[in-house]
Amino acid sequence: MKRRLEILSGAVVAIVLVAGLYWLGIHSMAPAHRARAATLAHPMAPGFTLTDINGAKLSLSDYKGKVVLLDFWASWCGPCRIEIPWFVQMQEKYRDQGFAVLGVAMQDTVDSVGSFYQQFHLNYPVAMGNAQLAALYGGIYGLPTSFVIGRDGRIYAQHSGTTGAMIFQKEIEQLLADKSQDEDADFTPAGEPEEIEVGTPGEANPDVPGVDISKLSPADLAEYKKQLDGAKCTCGGCKFTLLQCRRDDTTCPVSRKAARDMLKQMQDAKTKAQAGTGAGR
Amino acid sequence: MRKSAIATILFLGLAALGFAQAPKVVTGRLVLNANAAHAGSTAKAAVVAEISPGYHINDHVPSLDYLIPTELKLEPAAPLTVGTTKYPKGSPQKFSFLDTPISVYQGKLVVGAEIQVASGARPGTYTLKGSLDYQACNDRACLPPTSLPLTLSVKVVPRSEAVKPANTDVFHGLKFN
Repeated sequence: MKRRLEILSGAVVAIVLVAGLYWLGIHSMAPAHRARAATLAHPMAPGFTLTDINGAKLSLSDYKGKVVLLDFWASWCGPCRIEIPWFVQMQEKYRDQGFAVLGVAMQDTVDSVGSFYQQFHLNYPVAMGNAQLAALYGGIYGLPTSFVIGRDGRIYAQHSGTTGAMIFQKEIEQLLADKSQDEDADFTPAGEPEEIEVGTPGEANPDVPGVDISKLSPADLAEYKKQLDGAKCTCGGCKFTLLQCRRDDTTCPVSRKAARDMLKQMQDAKTKAQAGTGAGR
Repeated sequence: MRKSAIATILFLGLAALGFAQAPKVVTGRLVLNANAAHAGSTAKAAVVAEISPGYHINDHVPSLDYLIPTELKLEPAAPLTVGTTKYPKGSPQKFSFLDTPISVYQGKLVVGAEIQVASGARPGTYTLKGSLDYQACNDRACLPPTSLPLTLSVKVVPRSEAVKPANTDVFHGLKFN
């Protein structure tokens, strides 16, 4: 009987321990793990640097830690023009809480945009967009297209076409109030300057974002991706492969450099091998 | 990790599917009012275009100065030159993004153009190329300015050969003056 009691109490302790560990596993997940979970629904906003129509540098990385409304628009687009006064008001209303509107004019002229900027008293920066930037954001063909970006640099909402002012306000207020985004705010490794993601058109691709793969043959590209997928990423302790890392966080300068270095090594090795073959003839 | 990678790929894929293929809002062709033309004559051509339901393109003379006009552009190619171009008047429509109606084209659009055949043109088939430039919107969004490429083959025949009317349904009621 005593032995039965010992077995029973041992089982109860084991169950409690397992349950406790399970509970701890759920509730004490490291921020990094939670951040990874967030990537499933909220991809990183691709970084870019442009020059605004007043000649100042406009870089998304300068808005790190802020809630950003990124608006792709055009002065010739009626549905875009209706949203602009709302954005002016929102910029005024939420600016001090860590909110900013960034405008990117697509397929437009500096004169038309500048004139519109003056006429509608825009109080936020507007830059001229380009095809590379559009490609980074999945291709912007319908205007307006806007992205609501959290303090952690992740895209929380995307709107194609005119969207009600109330919807924007609700999303902005939710993101401003939600402190959990801060846990992932250090997505750029400390001490590493955030580099500009928009480069040559060849770098704007979904296969290996940030690396110019336009000159690779299909076979070489497959080989390169295989190598990337076989290498570990060293971004802030993440356990991705280099290929996954490049696709998961296109602004990460660590994985970008590693991926570019790997491509260079592969191309150098190929050139060397070809030179060796040639010398033997 | 794998889930994240899949999600990212899906995001990129869906984004590409959703945006990379902007819908073809305007389809159409360039037709002639006859099966052939004589040297020294003026033939009539017309773009017969169809604008997808729900979309509109701006009038050739837009109601507002910031709107991009619809324009037919035909490149002269000897012995063919392009004369008067005739645009229809758009219909006034009210959209949710504007307080006042604007003149737009919707549904079927016919734009006419006079094609002059040089007096010294030799019999043969000549090709005229051009485009219908437009910028389309629906009630909530606009597509970027784009062009519908157009090509027209004009057969020049000797005066001894009769020219027969063609595409009469298109040219019926299309006035160039």
